[in-house]
Amino acid sequence: MEWMITAKEPGKTYLLQGNEAIARGALEAGIRFAAAYPGSPSSEILTMLGHVAKDMNLYAEWSTNETCSFEACMGASMSKVRSLCIAKQNGLLVIGDALHTAALSGCKGGVVLVVADDPSAHSSTNEFDARHQARSAGLPLLEPATFQEAKDMVKWAFDLSEELGQVVMIRGVTRIHHGRGNVTLGELPEQLKEPQLVAEWDRLVAINWFHDLMLDKLDKARSIFENSDFNSYEGPDNPELLVITSGTGWFYSQEAIDILNLNERVGLLKLGCTWPLPQEFLLKHLRQTKKVLIVEEIDPFLEQNVSSIIGHNPNIQVEISGRSEGKAFPRIGELNPDLVRNAIAGMMQVSYEAPTSIALPADEQVLIPPRELTFCAGCPHRASFFVLKQSLGMRPAGGLVMGDIGCYTMGGQRAGHYGLNSLGCMGGGVNMAEGLGQLTRFGFKQPVIALAGDSTFFHSCLPGLVNAKYHNSDMLFIVLDNSATAMTGFQPHPGISVTAMGEKAEAISIEKLAEAIGCQVTVADPYDVENTTETIYRLTKKPGLKVLILKRECATLVLRKGTRRRMWVDPALCRGDDCGCGRFCSRVWGCPGNIWDYTAGKAQIDEVVCIGCGVCASLCPAGAIKVEGGEA
Amino acid sequence: MPGGRDLKNDILNSSLCTLCGACLDWCPYIKNLDDNLVITFDCNVAEGRCYTVCPRTNTDWHQVNSSFFTDADWSQEIGSCVKVYRAKSLSSIPGQQDGGTVSALLKTALEEKLTDALLLTGSRDNMQPESFITNSLSYIEKAAGSKFLASPGFRKIMQAAQEGVKKLLVVGRPCQIQALRKMQVSQADQLKDMDIISIGLFCMWSLSWEFTNYLQNEYPGLTIKSMAIPRHGVEIMTNQGVKTIPTAKVREFIRPGCSYCLDMTSELADISVGAFEAEAGWNTLIVRNSSGTELVSKAVGNGLLHVEDYPENELQLLKSASFNKKARNLNSIKELIANDAINPPVNISQYDYLEEVNS
Amino acid sequence: MMQQLIKDPLNIIICGVGGQGNILASELLASALVEKGYYTTVGETYGASQRGGSVMSHVRISAKRQFGPLIPFKEADIIVGFEPIEILRVARDYCNINTKIIFDTRPNYPLGVLIGEAVYPEINAISRELQALCGSVQVVGATKLAIEAGNPQAANIAIMGSLTALPEVPLDPADYFEILKTRFTGRVLDLNVAVFKLGYAAIKQ
Repeated sequence: MEWMITAKEPGKTYLLQGNEAIARGALEAGIRFAAAYPGSPSSEILTMLGHVAKDMNLYAEWSTNETCSFEACMGASMSKVRSLCIAKQNGLLVIGDALHTAALSGCKGGVVLVVADDPSAHSSTNEFDARHQARSAGLPLLEPATFQEAKDMVKWAFDLSEELGQVVMIRGVTRIHHGRGNVTLGELPEQLKEPQLVAEWDRLVAINWFHDLMLDKLDKARSIFENSDFNSYEGPDNPELLVITSGTGWFYSQEAIDILNLNERVGLLKLGCTWPLPQEFLLKHLRQTKKVLIVEEIDPFLEQNVSSIIGHNPNIQVEISGRSEGKAFPRIGELNPDLVRNAIAGMMQVSYEAPTSIALPADEQVLIPPRELTFCAGCPHRASFFVLKQSLGMRPAGGLVMGDIGCYTMGGQRAGHYGLNSLGCMGGGVNMAEGLGQLTRFGFKQPVIALAGDSTFFHSCLPGLVNAKYHNSDMLFIVLDNSATAMTGFQPHPGISVTAMGEKAEAISIEKLAEAIGCQVTVADPYDVENTTETIYRLTKKPGLKVLILKRECATLVLRKGTRRRMWVDPALCRGDDCGCGRFCSRVWGCPGNIWDYTAGKAQIDEVVCIGCGVCASLCPAGAIKVEGGEA
Repeated sequence: MPGGRDLKNDILNSSLCTLCGACLDWCPYIKNLDDNLVITFDCNVAEGRCYTVCPRTNTDWHQVNSSFFTDADWSQEIGSCVKVYRAKSLSSIPGQQDGGTVSALLKTALEEKLTDALLLTGSRDNMQPESFITNSLSYIEKAAGSKFLASPGFRKIMQAAQEGVKKLLVVGRPCQIQALRKMQVSQADQLKDMDIISIGLFCMWSLSWEFTNYLQNEYPGLTIKSMAIPRHGVEIMTNQGVKTIPTAKVREFIRPGCSYCLDMTSELADISVGAFEAEAGWNTLIVRNSSGTELVSKAVGNGLLHVEDYPENELQLLKSASFNKKARNLNSIKELIANDAINPPVNISQYDYLEEVNS
Repeated sequence: MMQQLIKDPLNIIICGVGGQGNILASELLASALVEKGYYTTVGETYGASQRGGSVMSHVRISAKRQFGPLIPFKEADIIVGFEPIEILRVARDYCNINTKIIFDTRPNYPLGVLIGEAVYPEINAISRELQALCGSVQVVGATKLAIEAGNPQAANIAIMGSLTALPEVPLDPADYFEILKTRFTGRVLDLNVAVFKLGYAAIKQ
């Protein structure tokens, strides 16, 4: 909440979301610049900074992609102001190239890169451990374990960044970014640093000659980390088991040790600074034990690096367990308190009695239907995938649809009639289609379609589109333009006429952009199922690159604006189960707004969720679905 | 009674579809663009009218025949027959082919109020057929002339029913007339209040729409006006003059479903009309029942149509052409059955008479 | 103002379907608790929850220290839910014989049910299984109450009213109203207060 993160109430405790705590920490650090591309679970940070930017006298932008945002921060850093860049783990890889050069050039004003990892990929295509990138690039890395630390660490990271002249990376996980907890506020700076003149030799250039300098900075970071309060130890002097944790692992371990009543026997070493590792601090505690359990999210990053330290110190004899080979924890997926408790109980050979619960015998249990993700009621993507299925179905050999990242990724599941043939990363669809579309010269017959949302289009499809156009690939590129970055919560992008700070901007037309590079562009409405089916069918029969913009505002925006129309089923017209349509509206169309009234045996509209798009009315063979104001 | 899934498996996926259009617009599953007809989404309805009305699903044609033709002579080659004429229109209609007999009958039907509306098939650019329902005389011109490309025109029967048309005259290919009869026999609710007069056209086969793509590739910039098949080959009338296409080339574009058709003369229509091969400017006209007789006699009485007795030797030639199509395609069906390529197999015992004639 | 908890940590799960207001409900509850001085942690799973997926918030309250964002299996003290099958799904994993359950019986049909491949279970069967699994089960017609008060989307606030009426939850309605006042004004505030009171009364009687 904006008013909490800007509150001038040092010492006051609020419930803050991890993302809010990070934004607050950046404000306490006196940032003047923040940039990001949306990505769950990190998006709220910049949303919030954008909202408070004017009041807090800073600049915030939703950049076109993550590289834009990171390098913009590096640019701002040249004038010695502090900049915050935020990305999710996939976005970090988009930054990858810039990250590795920035590590050579270093920074002037503090640059902190917050990366949100998503163990178990709750809101991502893949789980990926961002920490490898810090090590690969040679950047100092911090991992907050609590909501309070999320705030405090960001503030400290800026001091560290300026002390080292190096970018500092902070790695959070979903449970911190999207969790909430008590956070006690610190001071906001009285005065903010103004941008400084850049002297002639005050340059930020990456040349390999600086590799050595980068390693020196890491050494310096290591010695600072040896004494950081973010690393701590709690427990007996000679623990039977030493638990080494970072991030949320600390919460789970602490609770487990408590509940197993092992406080006198197990030591808990919490690492906030995880690259480079505070070697002396670790060695001091490793010497006192025989068994080590490493509790960390996703990859055995600490485990391998701690093992490497042990390997260099032959006098230390410990048995180390963690995620490697699934020894103590599963190799993949998110940790939870049960996994950690069981691991510690197992290693300490103690048992835990969970509260009693009584389950009904299996044959008396209710069969719970799974709840698959689906498009919202009235979502234009549902119509787009319906139309795609129909138009490609009309081609004797079918066709291929290359997916991309956004709400429409769900089109690959039942919600979109399993309508995707590929799914990779942002901008992947258009490039894969370009390749396949080149094979028509060898007789490849199936039409090839690439999809991209409007935000994804700007993010990473432009080079792909230029490539497809220049090489005139036989493909249809469809932009699913819902005027929103809907998946992550409606952040502005270059196609929208308002910025992160609420300022007016000149929206960039996707249509004109595509036309400017010489594409034939067609615009159609996915709600107009019949005509758009034919449009796609005709376009896929034409050779060369075609661009189609399926334009329709996101249903959630319609819901928010309150402009929805009422729809209802006329029970006199609905033939119910006697209709030869086989419940086409609810069964095939599958919109949450189309439900079945089992008592009446007829179709029904769920007025709580229906936004009145009218598409189902146009599909009902009996004309039984009515839209307020007539025609759909 | 089977349903949509069976139609998809037995007919569409087996390339047996004739694109008559009878199954379209009854339900939201069956969709068509150009000459593609598909069931895109899974139809879970066990029983469906789509299957019942399809001219390619297993049917007892003797039974259908006896429902509509009670006091006509039946022959194995051209079906039920009250009278065969050679005929020609007495007023010339632009675009008419051969004798203009169909146009004259349509005009008569409208003027004499024998029908409220006509279901006709015209052509868009480049021969692509388009069906429409009209009650205007001027539209008859638009539909004159043979089409050669298949189109699902009989979907419009549903549209006419929904618009409340009580009396309809349809012009169609043999498969379409078969579908119409199956609709009528199945007593579909939508059709129970509608009187339908049918004019069936002679048909050897129809072509896939790929044929126009072929012509476009062969002659870029070509605009096709019409097409005819005189005895010496296939002629395309275009903006670049007449193009003659080798018959063998044209055959490559015959819809696969046409190879299993056992009806050349639209045997189930009230009236059938085709070319009169012996002399230009005439049609062959077969009147098959009383409603056919009524329409033809009104057309003659109004002076719109001239008819003459059919020359006996020409009738033998007509019958032999029809028989040859039946015999050839029956063999194709048998091959399919032998290869397990159609399911369920067509009940071919009803065509045993062809075997007898053949032997 | 902070008192000892009947159970510490007190583990509450709020569950439902994306779009039902789960996150707001848990955030308001936890804010009110932090305001009273409790350590409160909320763990939320809502990656793609706008798309109709299952949503669950874990709220952990302690007078001693900050707890982690996830409740261990079988250790929920209270489960409140906006959707019957979601509450049963959660209850099977998280409840024990002392767990209290409050839920709204209005179904939100999953895609598999909408398309006819799965069957939505009878509400009575769900209740019966919940009764067997948990200490106590109470039904609150939260959506109905919210519609009564003027907006079906306020069902989440009604459920929060019901939750606050449980003796384990160290909050008075007044504490909750203070938090509502920091988030809403005017008619929306009045509506939320009214809906909360209806939900509270539904359990308190």
